[in-house]
Amino acid sequence: MFCCGYCTPEEEDSQDATSSKKNNSSLGKKMPMKLYYFDGRGTGEAIRQVFKLAGEDFEDVRFSMDEWPKHKADMPFGQIPVLEVDGMMIPQSAAIGRYVAKKFGLAGKTPTDQAWVDACVDQFKDHYTEINKWYYTALGFANHGDKESLYKSVYEPARDKFYDFLQKRLKKNGSGFLVGNSATWADLLIADHMHTILQLKPDTLQRFPEMLAFKKRVEELPQIKKWIATRPKTPF
Amino acid sequence: MVHYKLHYFGLYARGEPIRQVFALAGQEFEDTRYSMEEWPQHKADMPFGQLPVLEVDGELLPQSMAILRFVGRRFGYAGKTDVEQAQVDAIADQFQDYFNEFKAYFVVAVGFAPGDKEQLFNSVMIPARNKMFQMLSQILRSNGTGFLVGDSVTYADLLLSIHVAGMDGLTPGFANDYPRLLEHRQRVESIPALKHYLETRPFAPF
Repeated sequence: MFCCGYCTPEEEDSQDATSSKKNNSSLGKKMPMKLYYFDGRGTGEAIRQVFKLAGEDFEDVRFSMDEWPKHKADMPFGQIPVLEVDGMMIPQSAAIGRYVAKKFGLAGKTPTDQAWVDACVDQFKDHYTEINKWYYTALGFANHGDKESLYKSVYEPARDKFYDFLQKRLKKNGSGFLVGNSATWADLLIADHMHTILQLKPDTLQRFPEMLAFKKRVEELPQIKKWIATRPKTPF
Repeated sequence: MVHYKLHYFGLYARGEPIRQVFALAGQEFEDTRYSMEEWPQHKADMPFGQLPVLEVDGELLPQSMAILRFVGRRFGYAGKTDVEQAQVDAIADQFQDYFNEFKAYFVVAVGFAPGDKEQLFNSVMIPARNKMFQMLSQILRSNGTGFLVGDSVTYADLLLSIHVAGMDGLTPGFANDYPRLLEHRQRVESIPALKHYLETRPFAPF
């Protein structure tokens, strides 16, 4: 289950011997993980940034809008991002983010820290769902109505609620990051989202100076700064 | 000894999967249930102003899936390897997306909002259900162990069995087109620790 889908379940057993030979190259090196996503930041970027922050290699596969329909059926839940690890396909951006972050020590140092990182990611997802009607309209992916009136009725209340909680969290934690005393993937995810928000509405976070400072702090992390300077420039 | 206290409403909804992990693990916990009248007085105490929250030796952890993963991993119901754990997470996340997809129907069906229940069931619930249930049936089939991930029960299985039971209560026969899921529900609910828990837990409308 969740395997790459190139063989039917009934054939899996007979394929095992050959596929394991394929994966162990003559160099004895493990294949790098492979991220499948669109050519954009979206829900894939935080995952890429975890690899970059950790200084780890990965294959950054980017589908164009034209190619994507041909690959949809290969993906366990018909969506991307998907991470391929030794032939196993893992869907769902947060599951991938957590898996990669944990592997590289960027998911929180203790079990309760890890739970807090998860909670921040989930709270962000709730926020993302709440603002969806405005956000997708503003990005041009949907038309839920007048952009400006959606901004006022949908985005502003959600924004205030969410960033109030995050500022409280930053203050309580005291390290400049959301959890523990170093950056975790929750910080990367939220800072990247803020980047898109500020592209759409440059003044919208003026009420949250600590969050603006937080975003800058994340973007100044050397590996992230380098990646931002060199990554493909995309509208979302 | 660690002290666990779950803060939630007297509902299954986002609290029940967590309660069932404690039940599977045979782990005692304080099952605090706020009434709708009391809740506003406690809202400001909660980190994100919402429930459920799990209090672990005085530390308050919010967000149902973060809590579920925390207790699932602590007690061994979250997948045995790191890849399995990611697969369990992925199914849990897919459930959240699925819940968001049919929310418009659900709030009307349980009386939280006005609307045409029949129309929403057909236009919103059925397409979302079919897409999700087909994927889950396929996962069960190809995994071949009777569980969604690996060879034993995880919280992904709890999310599914609780959902099937809950929706069947709301609309009898809800999962009848998906025999694999009906069978899965029976299997999960027959696990002795869960069977006992289900026989003795307080009733909730959903």
